[in-house]
Amino acid sequence: MNLLYKELALAAHPTSLIFAFLGCLVLVPAYPYTVIFMFGCLAPYLTFLYARETNDLWYTAILPLSKRGSVQGKCLLICAIQLFQLLISIPCVLLRNSIGVANNPVGMDATVAWYGFGLIIYAIFDLIFFPAYYKSGYKAGRALIIAALPMVLLMVAVEGSVRIPALRWLDSSSPEHLLQQIPILLLGILCYGALLPVAYRISARRFERVDL
Amino acid sequence: MTDTLQVRNLCKYYPGFSLEDVSFSLKPGRIMGLIGKNGAGKSTTLKAILNMVRPDSGDVTVLGEDFFQHEAQCKQHLGVVFGGTDFYPLKKLSTITAVTRRFYPTWEQQAYENYLRQFALDESKQFRTLSNGMKVKYLLALALSHHAQLYLLDEPTSGLDPVSREEILQILTHIVGDGQCSVLFSTHITSDLDRCAHDITYIQNGRVLKSAEKGIFLQSFDHLKTAGEHGVLTLEEIMLRTERRNFDESAL
Repeated sequence: MNLLYKELALAAHPTSLIFAFLGCLVLVPAYPYTVIFMFGCLAPYLTFLYARETNDLWYTAILPLSKRGSVQGKCLLICAIQLFQLLISIPCVLLRNSIGVANNPVGMDATVAWYGFGLIIYAIFDLIFFPAYYKSGYKAGRALIIAALPMVLLMVAVEGSVRIPALRWLDSSSPEHLLQQIPILLLGILCYGALLPVAYRISARRFERVDL
Repeated sequence: MTDTLQVRNLCKYYPGFSLEDVSFSLKPGRIMGLIGKNGAGKSTTLKAILNMVRPDSGDVTVLGEDFFQHEAQCKQHLGVVFGGTDFYPLKKLSTITAVTRRFYPTWEQQAYENYLRQFALDESKQFRTLSNGMKVKYLLALALSHHAQLYLLDEPTSGLDPVSREEILQILTHIVGDGQCSVLFSTHITSDLDRCAHDITYIQNGRVLKSAEKGIFLQSFDHLKTAGEHGVLTLEEIMLRTERRNFDESAL
């Protein structure tokens, strides 16, 4: 908890914390909701950029932490932002359904499948972004460019899928279709739960070789 | 008695510069000055000791424990101050302290508040608004408030006025007075070391030229004295004459 407290109090860029609340955008009646995941991917970029400019790595290096601890702190922070973003969207989706807002006309609705795809997008982005950043410890822009490409392709694929008639069930909030979508959510949870620790381990190994 | 710090055969190779076989040890209750001209490898040595720079080979032992194997535990006993480094310029000192103290079970808030008063530091100020000297004092207050046993200070007195320097040297002398703590203190202001250091390690071009108790260290450079000079040379004279001779030889 000390690590997460340190990251939130000192290292996190304020905009990253605002991005964590953008899960509420599912309340907007017509909006491409996968863009919300893009904000969750921009949060680590902004945070790493800010950390670099504020000598966060140097400060962390003089605390009683190993280099692995330094990487762990950042992984915890980003995981907290991304999961908070998804969690805060849940009451918003319930509110939206309770007031009878029509299905999102511009893309995929915030269905169970949408949450699954979100976790898959985060997992793949983090798996590429973290190790790419910790190879040098300062090239945040390069890491973003490398990780953004699969993120954008996945976003386009998710938004595009609802235009395919055979996949319209992904966009449906009817109970039978929601049940059908559960495997996608489970796959998302599995991807996120498995790939984030992999991203951490690769990043920690790389960062141990970095000279500050 | 266990050495507070042991550095053995520390090597780090860069294109154009190498730290080679740096070895020295620091006993409890001692202040060691790390001297050398700019670019000699003083800061790299300190960063390699702290694993901020990953050494290519060599060992560092802190209070008998292998530092690289037990980095986080060893750092509990360390107080580190890097002069000239800005952290979180927009954050208030109180925010930085609130985070720092959570990492040290031995943190003593009363001692911290005493140092704040002594150094005339205002916790409600942002880090960026402090002068260089005040930044060093703040970092020193953090390092001193968790009862570290080894203080690693990189150029802590650079940018400080003579009164503040005197104040910090007195504090360093006081903290090693109980015979438990030690200070490794890199500087090129050699007059500070004339006043407070017990041991000197001289680094030249990434190698330890000499590491010894100050009296022995000074005597070992007697060969640099010119005819008619009596008494021992000061650290500044030793550095000047050694580096000048080195420069003359390389120019030839």
